[in-house]
Formats: sequence, C-alpha cells, structure tokens
Amino acid sequence: MLSIENLSVTIRRPGRQVAALSGVSFAVRPGEVVGLVGESGGGKSMVARAVVGLLPGGSHATGRVLFGDSDVLRMDDVALAAHRGRGVAICFQNPRGALSPTRTIGKQLVDRLATHQEMSGERAREAARELFEAVGIRSPQRRLDAYAHELSGGMAQRVMISLATGCAPELLIADEPTTGLDVTLTREILRQFRHAADTDGRGVLLISHDLASIAEVCDRVVVLYAGTVVESGPAAQVLREPAHPYTRALLRSVPDVGGRPVVATPGAMPLLTEAPHNCPFVARCAHADGTCSSRRPATVPVPGGGEWSLACFHPQTRPLDAGLPQPSHTPAATGAVTAGADAKPAVLEIEDAHVVYRSRFGSGGHHALRGVTLRLGPGETLGVVGESGCGKSTLAKLVMGLVAPTSGTVTVAGQALVKQPGRARPRGRALRWARTRAQLVFQDPIGSLSPRRPVGDSIAEPLRAAGLSPAQRAERVTAVLDRMELDRSILQRYPHELSGGQAQRIGIARALVGEPDLIVFDEPTSALDVTVQAQILDVIADVAADADRASVFISHDLATVRGFADRVVVLYLGRVVEEGPVDVVFDTPRHPYTRALLGSAPRLGGTTGSDGEAVELVKDLEEADAATGCPLAARCPFVTDRCRAEQQELQSYGESRAACWRVPELPALIGRQAVTP
Amino acid sequence: MAELRTVPDGPAAAPVVVPGGDRDSRFARRMIIAGASILSVVALVAVFAPLLSQWGETEIDAANTLVAPGGSHLLGTDGNGMDIWSRVLYAARLDLGIALAAVALAVVVGTLLGLVAGYFGGWLDDVLMRVVDIFQSFPTFILALAVAALLGNGTINLIITIAAVNAPAYARLVRAEVRSLRELPFVDAAITSGASPVGVLWRHLLPNSLTPVRVIAPLNCGWAMLTLAGLSFLGLGVSIPEAEWGAMISLGAADVVGGRWWTSVPPGLALFVCVLGFSLLGEGLQDRANAKRR
Repeated sequence: MLSIENLSVTIRRPGRQVAALSGVSFAVRPGEVVGLVGESGGGKSMVARAVVGLLPGGSHATGRVLFGDSDVLRMDDVALAAHRGRGVAICFQNPRGALSPTRTIGKQLVDRLATHQEMSGERAREAARELFEAVGIRSPQRRLDAYAHELSGGMAQRVMISLATGCAPELLIADEPTTGLDVTLTREILRQFRHAADTDGRGVLLISHDLASIAEVCDRVVVLYAGTVVESGPAAQVLREPAHPYTRALLRSVPDVGGRPVVATPGAMPLLTEAPHNCPFVARCAHADGTCSSRRPATVPVPGGGEWSLACFHPQTRPLDAGLPQPSHTPAATGAVTAGADAKPAVLEIEDAHVVYRSRFGSGGHHALRGVTLRLGPGETLGVVGESGCGKSTLAKLVMGLVAPTSGTVTVAGQALVKQPGRARPRGRALRWARTRAQLVFQDPIGSLSPRRPVGDSIAEPLRAAGLSPAQRAERVTAVLDRMELDRSILQRYPHELSGGQAQRIGIARALVGEPDLIVFDEPTSALDVTVQAQILDVIADVAADADRASVFISHDLATVRGFADRVVVLYLGRVVEEGPVDVVFDTPRHPYTRALLGSAPRLGGTTGSDGEAVELVKDLEEADAATGCPLAARCPFVTDRCRAEQQELQSYGESRAACWRVPELPALIGRQAVTP
Repeated sequence: MAELRTVPDGPAAAPVVVPGGDRDSRFARRMIIAGASILSVVALVAVFAPLLSQWGETEIDAANTLVAPGGSHLLGTDGNGMDIWSRVLYAARLDLGIALAAVALAVVVGTLLGLVAGYFGGWLDDVLMRVVDIFQSFPTFILALAVAALLGNGTINLIITIAAVNAPAYARLVRAEVRSLRELPFVDAAITSGASPVGVLWRHLLPNSLTPVRVIAPLNCGWAMLTLAGLSFLGLGVSIPEAEWGAMISLGAADVVGGRWWTSVPPGLALFVCVLGFSLLGEGLQDRANAKRR
C-alpha cells in the first residue's frame, strides 16, 4: 500500500543545509503495524511529512513515495487533498495542540466526516458517537460537546485517533502518539492502533523513540539513524536479538523494571549536511573498523531472517544481555544505609504535609498532596513514582520551598524554607544560604537555564548566594565541570546552543556546585533521547552515590527508579500508597496500584510486566475521584464498599508498607480475575 | 519557482523541490537594512549639518524673505528670511535627539515598572497597573498636550512629556512578559539557588523580558517624532527660532496657502523619511523575531 523507495530529502536554506533523509526505503501493507523508531533528529517525522506531502520549505527530495501506484512527492494540489484524509491520516504528538481550541471536538469530527465522507449532519453526528465509543471514550454523547481544553492528555489522544480513523484512511500515521502519557495509558492507546489494523485492515505507521514500548503492537519495525535505515524486520526478532549495533544501543539505553542495568553509548547523533559516505554510526560504535569509516554499508537481508535486513558490516548475533554484568541486588547495603540514617539527623523530614492550590476565583481548589510523611537520611536515595497528576512535582516544589504546605511541616537540613504553620523560618541572607542546601535538577534541562546568560553564570548561581568571591566561584565551577566531563569552553555558551544532554549535565553541575545536603531530581531524563538518557542516568547514579548527600529521584518511569534508589515511594493522587526497599517493592508489589504500574511497564522481549499477576485498572485517571475512602476506589478492580468508605492508612506487609486492607487477599483475587476476565 | 534539474537516471531521480523556507527572513533583512540606512543618513546629516549648508540654523537673510528655491537659497527662505535647506538639516538634530531620548526614558521607566509589577504581583501590581490604565485611557495626543501644558516649554520637558505618553506601553509589555517568564523553570532554578528577589529580577528576568521591547522601541521612535512635531505644530513644543520640523511646518502653513510650498513641504518630507526609516527598522525587527520563533 505504502512503498517508500530510496527517499532522500535535503533541506537547503541560506547558510545551512541538512540531509534529513538519505536513501530510505520501506513499505507498509494493509492490516500491518510498522514501527518507525530512532532518536530525535533521525528523520522519523520527515518520513511522516513526506508521506502526507508536507515537506518543509526548502526541501529537495529524490526517490519515490508510492501510495497505491501514485507518487505522493509528485502529486498536484487536487490529488494531495484527496490523498490526505481518505488516503492517509495523521495523529500528532501533541493532541491537545492539534485540536482547535474554540470548537467542540464533536464539531471538528463532524466537519471531517462531512468533508471527506460526504455525510449529512445528523448521520455524521451518529457516526462520530460511534467512533468515540470505538476508541474507548465513555459517555461519548456528552464528550461530543466538550472543548479540547476539557480533555486529559489520554482522552485528547483518543479523540485524535477517532478524527484520523473517521475518514476511513487506508494508512494511519501516528507521530509519537504516547509520548508524555502515563504507562497505564500508553498500552491502552497503542492497542487502539493495533485494533485499527486488525479490524479495519488499515496500515499503521507508528513513530516512536521508544522501541521497547511500541514493539508489543508492531508487526515490523524500521530503525532510523541519521536519516538512514539501519535495521528493519519483524518486531519480535529485532527486539530479541537486534543485529545492528545502534539498535542494540537503543535497547540497552532503556532501563527496564526487571532491574537490568543500563549501558550507556557515548556520543550523539551527527547532524549530516549531505548523504553519508560511510556508516553514520561509526563514531559511536564499538565494533567499527576501517571499512566502516570509509564505505557506507549496503542494506542486505539477514541470512535466514525472512524480511529482516540491516545495513552493517559487523552484524551482531549474540542475545542482547550476553556479556553484560547481571543485575546486582544489594539489599544488605540498603538495609545498612537505612539503619545508619536513623542515627544521623535527617536531611529531609516531611510530616503529614498537605498542599492545596486554591483556585483563583471563588472557593475550592486542587488538593495536590494529602498527608505525605517522609524521612530521608544522608547518603540515602529515595525514588518517587506515580502517574502524572499524582503530586510528584508538587512534592519536589514542597521540598525546595517553592510552595508552602497548607498543613504539616517540611524541614530541610533542620531548617524551614517556606512559611509553614507554627514555625519560624530564616530570612534574608540566612534564607538564601538555607535554600542552597537543597538543589533541584529539572525536567526541562534547557528551560531551567536562564536563556540570555552564559551557562557559566547559571552554574555559579548557588555560590553567589554563599558569598564566594569570583575567583573562588570559578575554581569550584571548573571542578564540577570536570566531574560532569564537560569542556571549559561550554561556560561561555548560551542554553539554546546546547544539546539536551549537555544542558542536563549543566543542570546537575549547578545542583552539585554548592555541595548541598539534598538533591532532588525531578524527571531529569524524560525530555532526553534514550541514548542520552542512559548517559545522564550514569552521571546521576554516580552523584546519588555520594555518601554525605541524600537524593530524591522523581520519575513516572519505574524502571529508571529501580536503577539506583534505596527506597521507593509510590504516589497516587497525592497519597503514598506503597513504600519500601526498592527491590522488595518491585519484586513483590503489594498495592493494586503498584501492581498495575509494574504490569504496564514495557520489558525487553516484548512482554510486559509480571504476567498473570498484573492488575488492570478499569478506568482512566481523570474519571477517578479521591474525595473519600481509598483514592484508587474508582479504578480498582477489587473495590468493595469498605474501600469506598474508609480512608486507607499505610500498614506493614513484610518489609514494605502499603495503604490497602485487601493486600493479603490480592494474590487469590488476581488469580480469579485472570480466569474470568 | 521550482528549480528542476534533469538528472540522467530518469524522472524518478529528478529532485522535487519545495519552494520557500527563507522568504520571510530575507524580506525582513531587507527592511532592516533599508531602515537602518535611512536613519544613518539622517544621523550623518544631523552631525554634519554645518558642513552641508552655508547658512546658520537661525541666521536671517533679511533682504530675502520668502524667496523661491534656487540661487543662494537651495530651498528658498521662510517669512523671516531663514534658509529652509539649512534649517531642515539642523532640525534633524533636535528631532532625532528628542525622539531617542524620550523613547530611552520611556523604556527605562516603563521596564522598571513592568518588572516590579509583574514579579511581585499583589496590591503593588494592582496600583501600578491602574495608573497605567489611567494614562492609556486618554487619547495619546490629548495626554501629551495636557502634560506639555502642565510642564511648559523646553527640551527637557518635551522629552519628559513624550516619555510619559509612551512609558505605559512598555510597562504593560514587560509586565506581561515577566508574568509568563516567572512560571518557567529557570526562575525556580534561580530562587532555589539562593538568588535574592533583586537578583532574580536583575540577572534573570530583565535580560529575558527585553525581546519585545527591542522590537517595539524603533517603531516607537517614529511615533515619538510625530508626537514631537505635532506638539511643536500646536506651539507647545520647540520655541520658534530653533529649527524643528513640526515648528517649521507650522510656521510655513500660512505661506503654503499663498502658494509658497517650499516653506512647509521640505520639513514635512524630512519628517516622513525619518519616520519611514524607523518604521522599516521596527517592522523588520518584528518580522525577524517572529520568524525566529517559528
């Protein structure tokens, strides 16, 4: 159906030229889900743009993009208009941005149906309702009259899918459809695409930077690197024993919940100005030799691999994990650290903290944290996990003294950073000094650096508050740069000139430079590409291991937390639902929510979670209401009247604590659920 | 527009070229160059006025009043026998100087007010913004007239008047910018790094909130010049013997009716060219800023 043949796109603009794609070929057949994976800058989105005939201005394209038997690159405007909508439809990464904010989503869907399917208003509305139902939107009739801003991210993505499938396209393109969504939703959304391929026989091109998460629903995957296809083949095979070193690097960069260690690949993807004459991965490849840097490998089939092909002189055959150090479980060390921490004064103490964001107009407000109690000693690393909206970021802000608790107390290194009920806090210079005792590493590495100041200034900021002279500051800054393995020339650069990885190293350098007692990492790698993510995780693991400092690592991704946290806390709607040593919580989760989270997390090999024991939540997060009783009551498959009525407190179960009274019965309940789905 | 090259390998090998991608920025660059050139010429004229004219700014050739262009008076003389060409050149000094000084003052005052109001919020923001509202609710020129009448004549007072009229716009612009910047992580980063409020404002918010100011200020210089000319035309600006385009137009207005066009048209043209220069520069900068954002 779609056949891309030797597609090359060069973008020429005054002063710069970018070889976005160099000789890309692959096909998508009806009823097939093809995953297009690779890191940003690899050319994934450019392929999508070429397929819908939306190449950016200044593009020079060669090769062919055959859809049926016509070439999209050479279509005129009339043919393109018919091609878009009926032929291909696209789901964008940012669904809320792709929906018009001033029209109801029902109207937008009806418009499309009227244009492309020539339906009358009444019939179109009926069809729209059915489409909403098909993508799992509950009470579709009511949702038709909603505006884009009233939808959660997951709901908006479902609306996008219904918009895209509504015109019955032969090919559906999804550009990073689940990036930014929670794990429990990601699976659900990806299943919608599988469903579109299976029931309607559509071709689906699924674009993602995360090979492991999409592999489950893909028939085949195509791996792009620097505008070239390095490997393509059946998803299961490529995932199990990837042959191209880059594919292997991609997979090894992603931590998994099983505790497999991350292996970082040095370097970054090159930005090519012309089609490469050698293997574009040569500079980062451990297997590279003279041939690799002088000639470009041709794409050849893997012997006996069916549709499997790759472009490499040194294909790898060993399983992915061979030769890697096995996951080291060191529960003894964890215990020792915890025991030691009790003796020393705590670095961070949070007592029954509540945070309520008052709404600006009238009464009411958002209850972001509902009674969180935490204690962290020097040298300890605490992992905090939960889905978006669970209060993770509020917790970070609370610790940093950027928001004040509505009730309860927060103490960092013995001092209060914000006004809190019944407590004095330092003022002026003393407060500034106290603030530098806790440091935050932000989710958005570039946005957390002042755009119009050289990064050297940003790093030195905490030292300024400590009253150090410029010479002393410079000395400390260079020392911390060395630890981050950054060149000194970077100090004069501005944030927009940095790559994400460099910017995050700068962010960590700033956090470290004042030698704080506590560093909070707030989703430090979620904005980075996977191979860069692995490099940064290495750096963070090193920093978190400093014995005299406590760390809090906040993430929606369970796997990254497992890598180096001693203890883990699972947050759900502002409450701690489970807490315990990291290996205990991951290996024997107690709370149904923790089980659901672990069950949805992708694992290598294409399977997910601890099979058979996984809990499936029954509804999306936005439908949950946590006013009384257990916060999970609305979504928990094992809910009883007692759950709805009683507030759940943390109780000890073995080494961990969970806020659920049914924990002892759960294994039996899950067994029954598996039998009668 | 599409550049199609023929390549021996047949039709499939011919590149498909998507035009565009750089037209906007090229056009913006031309506008900036044109505006900057015009303004440079005006500035040079202002500096070298004595070398470019044989008569002084207020020198009176009593024997030759209201003579037509030509001869020893390139653009003729006005009713007092002052040389129009010389005065048009000399006037560039005052017009350019007052406009630039007034806008500079407006930028400084407006930016400071906007920074403080935007960062601290609360009652301070309310008070400052209501004052700005009051200033902005008067038609610009009426306000300028009122302030000018209140302060009286004089170059310094003119600068203050024109700055007072323009400062509220900067206050609003910077306040809006600061309010959105304040939510960005780099501000939180500065606070948690122990920066004092003044440090956050001065080192982080100020440099980042000036982008729109840089774009608006050149356009604003053009408007300031027109306000100045208008005030002078009404007799509230520069006092008569000094050369200023608005005042010259006003002085010659009666003669134009009598067919002696040269008394008012040359200063009018000078004003036009100068404002055009500022407009081109401002628009160009604005387009370039927009192109960058995309």
